Parts: sequence; C-alpha cells; structure tokens
Amino acid sequence: MRSVGAARAATAGVWLLLTICPLALGEWRLAQLAQIMSYGIFAMSLAFVWGQTGLLCFGQAIFFGTGAYAMALITKGLLPALGDGPAMGLLAATVLPGLGALLAGMLMFRGRGLSGAYFAIVTLAAAVIAERAASHWDFIGGFNGLLDVPPLRYGFGRGRVELLATTPVYYAMLGAAGAVYGLLLWLERSPVGTALRAVRDNEQRTAYFGFDIAAYKSFSLALSGAVAGLAGGLFVTQFGFVSPALIGVPLSTEVLIWTALGGREVLLAAFLGALGVRSAESALSKALGDYWLLGLGLSFIASVVIFPRGLLGGLLSLPLPRRMVGGGDPRPSRART
Amino acid sequence: MLVISGLTAGYEDAGIVLEGIDLEVGAGESVALMGRNGMGKTTLLRAIMGHVRPTAGRVTFDGRDLTGRPPFVVSNAGIAYVPQGREIFTDFTVEENLLLGLLGKKGGAGRVPDAIYRRFPILAERRGQRAGTMSGGEQQQLAIARAIISRPRLLLLDEPAEGVQPSLVTAIAATVSAISRDEGMSVLLVEQNLDLVLTLTTRCLFVENGRIVDQSESTRLRDDATLLDRYLSV
Amino acid sequence: MAAVLLIALDAANFTLALLLVTLGLVIIFGLMNVINMAHGELFLLGAYTVVLVERRGGSFWVALLLAPLALAVAGLLIEELVIRHVYRRFIDTILATWGLSISLKQAVIVVFGPTAQQVENPLPQTVTILTTLYPGYRLFIMAVAVLLALGTFFLFYRTRLGLVARAVIANRPMAASLGLNTRRMDRMTFAFGAALAGLAGAVMAPLMSVDPQMGVGFLIPAFLSILVGGTGSLLGTVLGTTLIASAGTVVASVWTQIAAQLVVFGLAIVVIRLFPRGLTGGRRG
Repeated sequence: MRSVGAARAATAGVWLLLTICPLALGEWRLAQLAQIMSYGIFAMSLAFVWGQTGLLCFGQAIFFGTGAYAMALITKGLLPALGDGPAMGLLAATVLPGLGALLAGMLMFRGRGLSGAYFAIVTLAAAVIAERAASHWDFIGGFNGLLDVPPLRYGFGRGRVELLATTPVYYAMLGAAGAVYGLLLWLERSPVGTALRAVRDNEQRTAYFGFDIAAYKSFSLALSGAVAGLAGGLFVTQFGFVSPALIGVPLSTEVLIWTALGGREVLLAAFLGALGVRSAESALSKALGDYWLLGLGLSFIASVVIFPRGLLGGLLSLPLPRRMVGGGDPRPSRART
Repeated sequence: MLVISGLTAGYEDAGIVLEGIDLEVGAGESVALMGRNGMGKTTLLRAIMGHVRPTAGRVTFDGRDLTGRPPFVVSNAGIAYVPQGREIFTDFTVEENLLLGLLGKKGGAGRVPDAIYRRFPILAERRGQRAGTMSGGEQQQLAIARAIISRPRLLLLDEPAEGVQPSLVTAIAATVSAISRDEGMSVLLVEQNLDLVLTLTTRCLFVENGRIVDQSESTRLRDDATLLDRYLSV
Repeated sequence: MAAVLLIALDAANFTLALLLVTLGLVIIFGLMNVINMAHGELFLLGAYTVVLVERRGGSFWVALLLAPLALAVAGLLIEELVIRHVYRRFIDTILATWGLSISLKQAVIVVFGPTAQQVENPLPQTVTILTTLYPGYRLFIMAVAVLLALGTFFLFYRTRLGLVARAVIANRPMAASLGLNTRRMDRMTFAFGAALAGLAGAVMAPLMSVDPQMGVGFLIPAFLSILVGGTGSLLGTVLGTTLIASAGTVVASVWTQIAAQLVVFGLAIVVIRLFPRGLTGGRRG
C-alpha cells in the first residue's frame, strides 16, 4: 500500500520546486521551462478526459492547435472585430476549442453513442484531416502558418507593455498551470469527478443509476478541449509562430506519450510527464537524432505493457476525499481464453 | 480423479466468490452441486475450466496440476463443459457445432461419429440446420453432444434443465446417465432441479457463500427435506 | 464517357488495395479483439521490403513473394513481444500498437532516411479497356487483390481452420472450452493479418512514393471502412472499403484531395451515427 503522506508531500514538493526554479536556472533554461509549461497544461487536459473519464482522444492537438491559431489571429489583429488584446485572445483560445469539443461530444455521444475504441479512431482521423485542412487554408497562413505572433502583454493601448523578461513570463505560465491544476483537481475530487470515473469504469451500470452518460462525457471533453486550447494560446505567445504541425497527429501522439509515461490517472504525473520528456528531448535529441523518437516509441510501448499507470502515477496519486474511501483498487482476475 | 483444494477466486467487480473450495470427484462418479443463486457454483465450474483465474488453491486432474491453465488445455486434459445458457454457435449448423467439439482435440480432425447421432437422434435429423433455430431442449442436447463428442472423462454440466421442457429433461438425464455408465465418464452437475439430481448423481454437495458446507447421498434427498430447506429455500 | 470509366477503374483499384489492408485489420480485430494501430506500418514495411530487395539487385517479383513472408515473421514477433502482454487490457492494446506504429516508422527513417524512395513499375505496359488506356500494373494489382480476397473468403467459409476461426470470433470463451487452441489462433491470426498488410504494401509500392508516412495514409481509410462496414462479416468489410474508396476517388477527381478526405470522413461519421455497429452490424469495439 502506498503511503498517503508521501503522495501529498511529493505533490507539494513538486510545486515548491517549480516555484523556486528561477533561483536555480539560467535565463535560457528558464525560458525553455516556461515554454514547456504549456505542454504540461496540455498534458493535464488529456489526463482529465482520458484518465478520469476514459475517453482516449487521439486528436487532442486539434484543440491545442485551434487555441494557438485563435490566439495568433487575434493578437496579430487579423480579426479586427475582436480587437487585438491578449485577454480576448486567450478567451477565444479557450472558448472556441471548448465549444467545438462540446459540439463534437454531443454529436458523438448522444443516442447510442460511440464506443471507446471507435472514439479513438474517429479522433485520430479528425486529427489527420485537421492538419491537412489547416495547411490548405490560406487565411490562417496555409502550410507556412502564422509568423511573428506577439508575446504576452499587459496594459492597454499605447501604454501596454510586452512581457518579455523571462522570470515574469515563467511565473505567468506557472500561475496558469497552477490554476488549471487546481480547477481540474477540485473537479476530480467533487461529486462530478466521482460520476466521471463511474462512467469510465462501467458506463452501463452508471447509466442504470440514472446518470446522463452523454452529458458527462461531453462536459469532460469540452472542459478538456478548453484547457488544451488555453495551453495552445499560451504556447504561441512564447513560440511566436503557429503552423499546421500544432494541430495534427504528431503532437496528438506526443501528448499521449507524455501523459501515458507520466501517469494517465494523475494530473500532476501527466504534467511532469510532459515536462520530463520535453526537457529530455531538448537535452538529448541533438545527440540522438532520429534515434530519439525511436527510443521514445519503444519506451512508450514498454511503459504501456509494464507500467499501465505511468512512471509517476503511483507516487503522486493523492488519496480520495474521505467521503469516498472504501473502494479499493480492483485487480482483474478474469482470464483471457 | 478431480481434486480441488482450497480454491479461492473472484471477479474484478464482485470481489471474492469462492472462499476455499475443497472437493473430489472420483472416476465414473457423478456429483451434484446445489445451493442458492450467487453462492459460487457457476464460478467454481468456470474456475475449473480456466475462465476464472484462482487467487489461491489447486485444481488437479488425474494428478496433473491444471490450476490457472487456459481453457483449451483443461479441455484437452479430458474435461468437457456445458455452460449455463448452452452457448452453442447459433449461426453455425448442428454438424459444424459438433465438429468444433472435435477440431481442438489431438487427432480430432476426422468427422462426426455416427454414435453421437445414435445417442441424440434429433440432432441427426437437424444435422444441416442452423443451430440457433432449434428449440431450447434441442439446443441443450446439442451442447451436451458437442461436449461429450471428444469422449471426456469428466463432464461439467451447468443447469442443463434451464429453459428445457420437463419431458425432455428426463430424457436428457437418461442419456447423460447412460453415457456416464457406458464410458465411465464422471459428471459434476450444478442444478436446482431435484429430479435431475436424483437421476444423475449419487452424491450431492451444498455450496454456501463460496464454501462447501454440507454433503449427502443424493437418494437421501428424496425423503429428507431438511437439507434442501436449509440450503435451497430462500 | 471515357473519363467516367477512368474514375470507375481508379475507384475499383483503390477499393481493392484498401480491401487488402482492411481485411488484415478486421480479422485481427474479430479474432483477437485487438485494434492494431500499427497496421499501417506493417503495410509500410511491406513496401520497404521491395525497396530493400531491389537495392540488393533482386527483382520486384521476388520481393512480392518475400514481403508477406517477412511480415508474417514480424507479426509473430510482435505478437509474442508486445500484444500478448496486453490482451486483457483492451485500451492498452490501442496504445501499445500505437507505440509500435511510432517505433516501426522511426526505425524505417533510421535505416532508409525520411525521403521518398522510388520503386520501378514492373509492368509499364498499358491496356486498352473499351475506349480507355489503363496502366497494366494497376490491373495486376486488382487481380491480386481479388484473388487474395477470394482466398481469404475461401479460407474462412470453406475450410476447417476457417470454421475454428469463426467460432473464436463468435464466442471466444466457448471455443476455448471446446479445446480449440486460442493461443495458437492468436499467433496465426496476427501473422496472417501482418502478411496481408505486407503484401498490400509491396504490391502498392510501384504506384506510390514509398516514404515513412505512407502507412497512416492507408490506416485511416481502412479504419473508416471498418466503422462504416461493421465487423459482423467479411462482406461488411468489402462494403465499407467500396464506399470509402469510391467516395474518396470520385470526390478527389472532381474536386481536391482535401475535399475528398473531408467528405469521406463526414460520410463515415454520418454512417456511424445512424448505424453504430456499421452497415452490417457486429460486435462493437
């Protein structure tokens, strides 16, 4: 049995470490980490919809990419009706993919609904098409994407200041990550979270109890889409550039790997999975070249086979609120024939 | 021949169902398992067959350890299974169903032997018919025929009277009992129907909460209702 | 008129090539309840077998025979090393095979580089069909696909092995209870599905630019065919691939490739909204 205290201490320790990072890291590394932080938020969005609700989404980058494009279009002033403020940009980056996910969810889950495997396949196909469509749509820059996306700004009109110094940017990103983490964790531990996990573990039985399965799934997908969109919007302010690569299969696959390696059922584990893999990639990919992705793919297989809960899932899994204690970890015992 | 000791097993969503079963079935012997629903009788058969993985205990057959072995290994060791609900292949013909009882066995390529059709004449008539179109009783006969076609030494029968008209139940019991006598086949029967238990078995075990709690000669059940009252009435 | 005939021939050509890929996928799913996300890469490996053999000076026809054999062996290995360990965790089979897909694709990049390879057309002649000139090699592909599809149907519906396979699909636990060796079936099934994908890749290689991304280009339409056709019978697979491939070919020829993909995807979504089990029913994934 894992120790309850250890998970709490590890969780607190992780956030503390992230808070004092600016003291220890150099300018460049800190900027790097701030950028990766948006991938961490992205991974949490997947951990929520997949780990908590059981919806394995192979097209999560559609939401991330939509958020990134929305942010870029608005802050570059390409949608004059909406102004060019970063707040409006982030709002659009969150709301647009959220609404899209809600619609898609209602379309897919209403009525007899789409089963888990079919959902995975449909989202994969959607990601392939989204990437190709984005690279053929001239308004959003087609194949080349949109360049020179401005960084985060605060203030208004002529008086506004671009947020360029690394440390404030880092703390802005950390704040966003912390806020998303807090929100999702709160939801996870609320009765809604319990219902979502019930849907994940046994959809039919949950339906017998009178829960509206389609509504819960759509809600989860919508929230996850909104968070992924926010992550995309934040990402593009630092990266300065958005291209169809942000919306397609490769990035959807990457976030899946981060989340699976970290731990699909634990938000912080997924977050650290993204940070860890991304940091390792920036450190190693030059030296390893094409072997990096090969190694990543193989370790992904190994972790799925050997550690289905991810490398950090067990360590960082917080105890459930007291009202829900009692349900143990079920061990499958039915034999495959 | 079949020796089970301390068998413990369960399902992921229902917890432990078998809590240490000890039981023996001798060569040629026919034994009944009785008890209320949900006491673990079906799970016990499924655990013997290898469909449920035991968490503790052992299943041996002729001294060979079969604990946790996959069903096809158990079947090839000489144990045949007629599950609850029969589970015949409804889209296949009667003959194809019977053939499938042979194809997995060593040297079992051949064809359906006539002896089977002599035991179950109705199946000979229905040979080319889709199995799903037959009546419940005919399907039950097919399921039993499919199980015994490979001449197993132990037959696990789960509620064979369910959904079968009473006149046929007697006939089926007589057929199984004849096969058991002629071929020295043991039977482990899960059943609520007293007539069937009386015709087919010599010994009866009572299951409660995943344990075997009592036993009796089957014939004693005819006159003495106390055991049935204690373990079967709800 | 000639243009219509040409589109019809192209549609038939794509349908049959897609059918080869989809058959393997559907058989693996039906028998093993495994969604093989790496199927596109097995197709890819088939195509690269041709590249490799031709580089070594071998002929295309040798490669065409070698590809399914090599892929059958690869399939056995993959089943033994990966798939076997995740059978009881359905969603994890999707993840593990997706990991395989990434790794195989990347291994190809490591060995052959990311750029496209050319395979020479072994039958450059054209054939006149009614009023239209049509490439002979495309007709060859269609013949191969028809033969293989018929062979697979024969194997499934006319042989004892096929009877056993269908029994495993219909009721796996009962089939095992009858002593049918489901473990061996799993191995053989995966090897057979891999061999079909490998053959499809090899036979398509001369028509495509052989590059590491070509697998996913076939995987998606193959999956959509299964969603549309259902997993109930092999005929559903035929129906699904025909619909997906024909719709794609027709829209692409009158409009653009992107429009074709959008239309096909939309069509698939509409069909699975109306028929969640596909047009011919069957077990749900």
